[in-house]
Amino acid sequence: MHKFFKIAAMGLELLLVIAGLTAVAAAQDKVLQMATTTSTDNTGLLDDLAPKFKAATGIELRWVAVGTGKALELGKNCDVDVLLVHAPGAEKQFVADGYGVDRTQLMYNDFVIMGPRNDPAGVKGKKVAEALKVFAEKKVPFMSRGDNSGTHKLELALWRQNGISGIDQEPWYVQTGQGMLATINVAAERGGYTLTDRGTFIKYEDTMKGDPPLVILVEGDDQLFNQYSAMAVSPAKCPKAQYDLAKQFIHWMASPAAQKAIGDFKLLGKPLFTANAR
Amino acid sequence: MQYLIDGLITAIQLLLSGHPETYSAVAATLTVSSYAMLASLSIGIPLGFLLGYYDFPGKRAIRTLVDTCLAFPTVLIGLLVYAFISRRGPLGEFGLLFSLTAIAIGQTILALPVVIALTATAMESLDRQLRLTLLTLGARGRQLLWTSIWEARYGVLAATMNAYGRVLTEVGISMMVGGNIKWHTRTITTAIALETGKGEFAMGIALGLVLMSIAFLVNLALAVLRKRA
Amino acid sequence: MIYRIDKLIHRYGGQTVLRVEDLGIARGSLIGLVGPNGSGKSTLLRLLALLESPSEGVIQFNRAGDQESARQARFQVTLLNQEPYLLKRSVLENVTYGLRVRGETALLRVRAEQALRWVGLEPERFLQRRWYELSGGEAQRVALAARLVLQPRVLLLDEPIANVDGDSAQRIQEAVLRARRQWGTTLVISSHDWYWLFEVCDTVLHLVKGRLIGSGVENIVPGPWERRPDGFWSKRLDDGQEIVLLGAPHEGAVAVIGSDQVAVAPGAEAAAVVQPDTIPQVRLTGTLSRLSLERATGFVFATVVVANQIMFTAKVSPEQLGGAPLYPGRRVTVSFPSAGKWLA
Repeated sequence: MHKFFKIAAMGLELLLVIAGLTAVAAAQDKVLQMATTTSTDNTGLLDDLAPKFKAATGIELRWVAVGTGKALELGKNCDVDVLLVHAPGAEKQFVADGYGVDRTQLMYNDFVIMGPRNDPAGVKGKKVAEALKVFAEKKVPFMSRGDNSGTHKLELALWRQNGISGIDQEPWYVQTGQGMLATINVAAERGGYTLTDRGTFIKYEDTMKGDPPLVILVEGDDQLFNQYSAMAVSPAKCPKAQYDLAKQFIHWMASPAAQKAIGDFKLLGKPLFTANAR
Repeated sequence: MQYLIDGLITAIQLLLSGHPETYSAVAATLTVSSYAMLASLSIGIPLGFLLGYYDFPGKRAIRTLVDTCLAFPTVLIGLLVYAFISRRGPLGEFGLLFSLTAIAIGQTILALPVVIALTATAMESLDRQLRLTLLTLGARGRQLLWTSIWEARYGVLAATMNAYGRVLTEVGISMMVGGNIKWHTRTITTAIALETGKGEFAMGIALGLVLMSIAFLVNLALAVLRKRA
Repeated sequence: MIYRIDKLIHRYGGQTVLRVEDLGIARGSLIGLVGPNGSGKSTLLRLLALLESPSEGVIQFNRAGDQESARQARFQVTLLNQEPYLLKRSVLENVTYGLRVRGETALLRVRAEQALRWVGLEPERFLQRRWYELSGGEAQRVALAARLVLQPRVLLLDEPIANVDGDSAQRIQEAVLRARRQWGTTLVISSHDWYWLFEVCDTVLHLVKGRLIGSGVENIVPGPWERRPDGFWSKRLDDGQEIVLLGAPHEGAVAVIGSDQVAVAPGAEAAAVVQPDTIPQVRLTGTLSRLSLERATGFVFATVVVANQIMFTAKVSPEQLGGAPLYPGRRVTVSFPSAGKWLA
């Protein structure tokens, strides 16, 4: 019998050794762990900036792309060192609660409302407020991400700001609980409308080989402004957080070199961001 | 339908061209699944053997518990592992989150009930005549045990193949505690999730086919082993 | 005596399955065990193999105490089961398993080849075969070879030829006798085929319901018995015949009639009966089915089937055979005294 417990113990030891080695190895290089959103990751901006950041500072940027809610949660749990999200309301709360510091605006892109090419609800060219009222009154199928992401939070804020409430259980209001592209696909299937960031739309249009069933119908309204900011995880709440690396990141992102790179970034040949760090 | 054909073509292209991201995901998948299998087999087979071979009070209860764990959803395992290795959690200081090790740990937890339950079943399925035969030929103690385990080897092999299938194809754990970080913790399954999330279905299918090829090769190897044993 | 059994009782889950008051087995002897299914033959063999301890009583092996007996028996006593059973490996590995357990590594292959020849299997054809590539009879022969190769002091065989083909049965029987000749192995064999046992064994023990009821051939007549007004007990057979006996302890009792008590005469009438008519006799008509020789004594066993449901065996002297024309297929009369022994 002892033999088997010995073997089991060996297996466990092996695992812990590997764990230890990995941790040690990781500690060698300067690695900055970031949490950002899926839509940010999908734009490809980070793939473009990360090597430039490494060249400038010698720090390797690693990021997990999750929903905004989860990103903030990771920040609270001290699992990441820095956050890059686009939900100003939630970010301010995050800082107010003491979890984040050095919140810095970096760039913005915009959201658009997309819908079927033939626009059955007739909202093309309208302002956001009007369009939303049409959706609510005419009970037009509208797909929401429903996943507590930045996009979702913005969408909820739009309904609220424009005085529309109580639509959560309405049959025409569909909450997919999934990422942006999945939600767009649902909208395409059902002939519905949805709110998306421009970056995802550009990609979507590209995969549809320039002839998508859903097109942009409402844009340019300043309610559709999508501001990106970075926040360092508070060293007070998270002693193990690599605060100085986070600071270097934020500082670099706001620097003229990075800001230019952000502005020059093109997604599938189309510009996406406007850099606005002060 | 078009997705499938595109997927097949893409899969071949990815593999033949040595596409770095794909191969990185393949390496990550092979690494975590191998570690997880090694750990779960070395811990699970002895435990499964003890559970199946001996009689003791509470045996039924433990067996039921193990069988229940077979239904553990991977996302839940991922969540639990996260709770432990998050900086906030009890094992936070090891900095395991978002590493391949974390995924391996989670996958070990996934595979263990499978290995234990199926090994126990294999031991219980041993012919009653085996024990008498071994005793009458003079085997005792450790000889008796080792020969009995060897006699159950086909059942244990089945346990291994089953567990490996589970581990290779799971995505809940890899996503949750691995973080799907490109070049580091992006496995084939998390890459598939990512691609399909982006709407790149053909790519998703391509990666899926790559995964199936790996599974096929491993099972082929195990089948050859089975023949020889 | 290589075995000495004293006041042995063995139980499974509260039920007594075997009861042996006093039994000695001499070194190098060949003992047969007969009895219906469930009579305790397998249990007795397992206990003789010292694979289990009796619930009560003592089995002494080699005149040693309890623990010591078991310890000594480990490498000296081996048992062959009724169902052919092999380990999931090649024939070679199966045959040499016992040797390797004993730590012997020399000349394994040569010894395995020899053992296979003893059981009539060509080594070149069989050595590398896997356990699933053998017929039932071949598997049983391999199992026997695996035990013979150990040259055991005691070889116990539980219905060794019950589940094998005729050719294998013969080989097994030959191999087993050879072991005794070559090494003086003590053999205890249980079988349904008591004809063969009687041919070769020194002694045949008869087990019924877990009790040894003596050696020799006994006729067993089970119940149910009906109590008659005149105090006798009657059992009606399917063809209308009746067996009437005295002194049954109860209606479920089993009657035991020694073969030396049974007479057989040709013809359907109770014509020439040898026994003096002092005790009432039971007379039954049936068909003679078999004649076989008890080699040790020269007597012949005549088996008669009565009413297609009961067999009676009579021990007939050679002189008697000479006198009356008895041959299988002949209608005959069996007779035996109405006062018999009973088993509760």
